[in-house]
Amino acid sequence: MRTLNKLAFLLEDFSSGSPAQHLVDRFLMGYARNGEFHKPSPREVSAYVMMTNEGGFDKRAEDFGLRIASTAEQAVDGADAVVVVSRKPGVMANDRLLRIALDRAQEGAACFVHGALSSSLALGREAGRVARSRKISLLAGSALNVTHRLPAVEVPAGTALSEALIVVQINPVAVSGQSIMGSGTLGGAELNALEGLLPIIERRAGGESGIRSVRWLEGDDVWRAGEKGLWSRPLLAAALSRSNSPLGDPVLDGRTQDIFGLGLVRKLARHPLAWQLTHHDGLKTTILVLDGVVNDFNFAVGAKDGRTFSAQLFRAPPPVEQHYSLLMATIEDFLRGGASPWRVERNLLIAGLLETFRTASARSGRALETPALGLAY
Amino acid sequence: MGAEQNTTPWTRRQFVGALGTATGAAIAGWPGALAAADKPVRRAGGRRMKVAILATEVRKYSHAQHFVDRFLEGYGWQGKHHRPPFDLAGLYVDQIPEGDLSRDRSRRHKTKIFPTVEETLTLGGSKLAVDGVLIIAEHGLYPRTEKGQTLYPRNDFFQRTVKVFESTGRTVPVFNDKHLSTDWNECVAMVEASRRLKFPFLAGSSLPVTWRIPSVEIPLGTPMEESVCICYGGIDSYDIHGLETAQCMSERRAGGELGVKSVRAIRGPEVWEQLGENANTRRLFLSALSRSFTCKGPSGYLCAPPDLDWLKREVKNPVAYYIEHLDGFKTTLFLLSGVVTDFTYAGLAKTGQVFSCQMYLPMPPAVTTLVNNIEQMLLENAAPYPVERTLLTSGMTLFAIESLYRGGKLIETPQLNVAYQAPERSTYWRA
Repeated sequence: MRTLNKLAFLLEDFSSGSPAQHLVDRFLMGYARNGEFHKPSPREVSAYVMMTNEGGFDKRAEDFGLRIASTAEQAVDGADAVVVVSRKPGVMANDRLLRIALDRAQEGAACFVHGALSSSLALGREAGRVARSRKISLLAGSALNVTHRLPAVEVPAGTALSEALIVVQINPVAVSGQSIMGSGTLGGAELNALEGLLPIIERRAGGESGIRSVRWLEGDDVWRAGEKGLWSRPLLAAALSRSNSPLGDPVLDGRTQDIFGLGLVRKLARHPLAWQLTHHDGLKTTILVLDGVVNDFNFAVGAKDGRTFSAQLFRAPPPVEQHYSLLMATIEDFLRGGASPWRVERNLLIAGLLETFRTASARSGRALETPALGLAY
Repeated sequence: MGAEQNTTPWTRRQFVGALGTATGAAIAGWPGALAAADKPVRRAGGRRMKVAILATEVRKYSHAQHFVDRFLEGYGWQGKHHRPPFDLAGLYVDQIPEGDLSRDRSRRHKTKIFPTVEETLTLGGSKLAVDGVLIIAEHGLYPRTEKGQTLYPRNDFFQRTVKVFESTGRTVPVFNDKHLSTDWNECVAMVEASRRLKFPFLAGSSLPVTWRIPSVEIPLGTPMEESVCICYGGIDSYDIHGLETAQCMSERRAGGELGVKSVRAIRGPEVWEQLGENANTRRLFLSALSRSFTCKGPSGYLCAPPDLDWLKREVKNPVAYYIEHLDGFKTTLFLLSGVVTDFTYAGLAKTGQVFSCQMYLPMPPAVTTLVNNIEQMLLENAAPYPVERTLLTSGMTLFAIESLYRGGKLIETPQLNVAYQAPERSTYWRA
């Protein structure tokens, strides 16, 4: 693998605990990798940050030689590696920063985008075109798709799948009864769900076939759909059985509890939301956004032969959030010329889905055909 | 007087076969783990098996609460909510603290609380009336020794259990939470009683059977040189968890476990001096630390790799146990309160390869695997891993505390010649 001469960070913001802080610090200071502490040691690290209230950002220049640039162009010029990080949680991509990276980095450089690749499918495709024209390797992603799974399940490549389900939260900690409608997005919930689940289901027989339609459900409609079999209640039970953080009575007195079997999910869920995706090959994927039920991300996937694969997507506790070290290892290898760990088409599909989710027509409660999302890979 | 052989008439194979259902979790191999079975398993006599729990106290997050609730409520396991196929028929609670939950559990689940150990095991009758006994004597207000040990009544509960076995002419499997006793002779007597009366005896910490991140196992028979565990907490409490963390890996080395030759324990700056003098231990120390999720970086940076100078400043009162085994193998335990709040392991093979992972214990209420291993014992009438592991870690613990008490004196331990073989099957949580 090649040595990095100049690594540039283009950051929308930098604050303690942000993805930008986790990635910049690991490049500057090192990180835990394969049972030892590893230091990437690029010859030069530059950074442009649009906004920061983190006083320690400048201190990184003093302590670790970070070169703070006054413009994105200045940070990227001559770079053979670029990392673009939008505001946490990365669901709203900063297309302008990505375009600067692709226009100004060295030809043959590598560029990694944290979170969503782009704010729309069209802009993502355009970024891909520019990257190819300048022989720049381009990839996007977040820690959810590389983190540990408990247990360490993997769907065997080529397995015929029938249905997939993932449980995520908008805000795993805060308790809020406020409606989130009209916010235009569910924040990181959709991104986390797609980043967590697509790497698992794209291994199915025939690969990813793209999305034929999406359907939004809200409130009691979520439960009615489950009762009608529009999403699998057994898969929800399997996913929740993987949780380490059941809420309700377990929080009050420490008991373990079958929150699904006892019918508590519906009682615990605050303003349940769901997206149902129908893939072109017939696979059904359900994203259940269930704040108040559990505080971790868990999935279950049903195979056509009756097997179920289920696990928790493990997020290590703050402030270290060690899952960023797994992402960091992936990014470092990619930037240093390693093989792309996943197809950029996954990133395009996620960008297209997030774009679709933000449209008002997607929230009608009826299935919305998505011909543009027929992205097979 | 031997164990009554018909107490657990269903073998695991019969049990799983009787269910005749897929587990629902297509996980590569875990042959010994229980299927996620919710159907009741009945004895040949037609009734569900019964267990008794002898507890010091049942309050939120006390050890006993974890065990009681897992038997009463079940827990997530292999992709389902698993309900143990047993009735918690009797509960003995030695102390009733503020926040006691035993009465609530008794009311909600109709679990009877008995006033004595003996009545709990006989369910108020004259004969042993349960099919398994759990001794969960951790937490509660008990006297402390001048060495810093808490005199939990584990041996007392155990010996009273043995007396019931002897007086009723029947035995059942017994589980003891954590180390056996603070007295070596009592530890030995407990194991000898289980051998004499031929009942399965399982003991120890949940650390050996919890998740490992990453999912690492040392191949059985690997020539090994040294194990290091880094954890936190105090002596006679979390040290046993750390020693069990290391021992469940160390015992898989070539030749098996032969026992321990000597134990030395120190606290304070000398810990860092010793670490500076041993390159292998230092390498393993850093490897184990790299597996921590809670070790913050120096200079106020949240995720910078730690260095030894920073650790020296940050850890106010480090403690280290140095264990020399009879075959020359070494185990070192570091208690680094203030820097980590998790359990990490690194082991050095003679080839130079390092095995490292975190024994990841989810925060309450999510700790489950130890109960599943107890269930296996009750169903199969055999402990899934040898009690000699915990006999040895009990000895390591109490002699290390003795060494600390004597100012770091090296203690020769001829009595710790506890030799045993690790089971071929891994028992950690990975399905």
